[in-house]
Amino acid sequence: MYALPYLVLIKLHQLAINARRRDRTWRYVAWSTMAALCAVLMMVLGAAFCWLMWRLGVWWLTLVAGVLLVLPLVAAPVARHVLVPLGRVKLAYWAGVASRPGTDAPALGFCFAAWAWSCRPTPSAEAWLARRRDARRPLGDAEVVVTALLLAGRGDADGARKLMRSVAMIVEVHPSVRELVGEWLAADAAERGAWRELYDDAIAARWPATPLTYLLEGIAARRLEAAGAPGRYELVARWLLAPYRRATRTLLRVPVAAPARPPEPAAAPAELPALDHLPRAVAAHLDLTTRRASAPALADTVRAWDAALADAGTHAWLSRRALELDAPLGAVDRALRDIATAVTDELARAAEAAQLAAPAALLGAVGTPLARRLRHGRLDSLESAFTRWAGRRRAGERYPSIDEWREFVALQAAYEAACSAGGDELRRLAFPHAFSTGSNMAAWLWNEHKEYALSHAISRWLLDEARAVGDTEAIELGHRNCSLTIHTRLGKVLPD
Amino acid sequence: MSIADNPFFVLGLSPDASRIEIEREAQKLLGMLELDFADARSYQSPLGPRPRTPEAVRAAVAALRDPYRRLVAELWARHAPPAQPAAPPEPPRAPGYPGLRRRLGWRP
Repeated sequence: MYALPYLVLIKLHQLAINARRRDRTWRYVAWSTMAALCAVLMMVLGAAFCWLMWRLGVWWLTLVAGVLLVLPLVAAPVARHVLVPLGRVKLAYWAGVASRPGTDAPALGFCFAAWAWSCRPTPSAEAWLARRRDARRPLGDAEVVVTALLLAGRGDADGARKLMRSVAMIVEVHPSVRELVGEWLAADAAERGAWRELYDDAIAARWPATPLTYLLEGIAARRLEAAGAPGRYELVARWLLAPYRRATRTLLRVPVAAPARPPEPAAAPAELPALDHLPRAVAAHLDLTTRRASAPALADTVRAWDAALADAGTHAWLSRRALELDAPLGAVDRALRDIATAVTDELARAAEAAQLAAPAALLGAVGTPLARRLRHGRLDSLESAFTRWAGRRRAGERYPSIDEWREFVALQAAYEAACSAGGDELRRLAFPHAFSTGSNMAAWLWNEHKEYALSHAISRWLLDEARAVGDTEAIELGHRNCSLTIHTRLGKVLPD
Repeated sequence: MSIADNPFFVLGLSPDASRIEIEREAQKLLGMLELDFADARSYQSPLGPRPRTPEAVRAAVAALRDPYRRLVAELWARHAPPAQPAAPPEPPRAPGYPGLRRRLGWRP
């Protein structure tokens, strides 16, 4: 009598949750409401069955029914709102397992446990978590999220953010774990006021949204006055659906943006008289090195220095002063060289700090060495990092899976930063070394260590890079590597 | 060479100063620093006020005695913008919502 409606409700509940994970329109609220209704009805049915068994005096069947019918529904909310804030690591783990989130229930359990640890960190619980995480091989998304939450618990929010974002490269997808990732990133972005980042994640639908994520995404869209931002009533509906309403109430009051002033037309660069080149260069240099450097400011400064150091007026002034000061022979040329070197050093430091590319097509006393310095410095540091990676493989020195992942993520971040600063030219120069090292590493991890998801992430990234630089041989090899079936805990994954 | 450490700014002199003026000013500044005069403890540079030490004064004089180093120092000092007073502290950037993550259940 109870079984059929209960089974139907389970199916409906799962369907509603799955539909909600795919949706970010007004239907999200409808699916959430339906899932909540199904859950309530299942609870009522389960509780009624337990009560009936109790009345009939079959107390052991009451317990069994409670564990089977009621516990999965209450386990996740209890873990989130009770066990996690209390820091009960192992209980949170078992609650995650009991919530039956899918094929690989311990994945969510570990995430809950790490979340609980971040609320009340203890060395013994951390050791327990790390031991259990390292025992789970091959590496999947849950292990990365556990590590990210451990980092967050230690106060390393930047490290946690990078690791959370890296989860997107892993083909093993636990939807419930991905929801936690999305919510952590959304809460983190909201705390930093990074509404654009949050909105971009929402538009790309990178993570399935929990009700809280969905609310924060709506707030981000409203603050950015984006097209398709939710109206006031829809936002209130999202707010009602999400937990922590007291904390999020203040966010609903979206500040009214000041009307945007039309940008003032940029003044055309005036043709300065020759004698003004040097003051202009010094002023631009000081401005660049004392404030946060930008690409246009760097280009302007390099152009000004190139003009000033090539200017006949500067040479004449230096020659006259050298004579007056009784400077040694060749002092003018030496001074020009020294000034160019000092200026290049300072501009290179500023460009490195702000991750700027060398200005293109500026080939003067400062422009040429600056471009060479930036390109070589970045290439050298990248090559030495990839060489260390390759050396470890040759020596057969294997790290725990999560450390292998973190090293790859760090290398990839360094590569991306260097390429975004150095432009396409540096990307083309850096790619061959990265490709040969990365391909060998991916093969080693796949063949010898059965780290399929990790290896696939490396191959996938190399394939994307090969496409970016147009290396046909690398694209062909990348396609072959990326088309292999990946074995995960959730079954075999066939790449796109 | 940092423009803030330019010998002319350290000594508070114009690039046209003669050798005698440089020596005299350096002796005066070293005496004032020895007596811990507040006026002598800092100097103005295009990057704002900087602390002045006896070592910096001696290094500045030594640099200006060398014709080549003086030539380079003059080039920077002569063409630098006027010295800046201390910049007012920047207003704090509009933060997001500090502590929000904790209030949303994610700690710390």
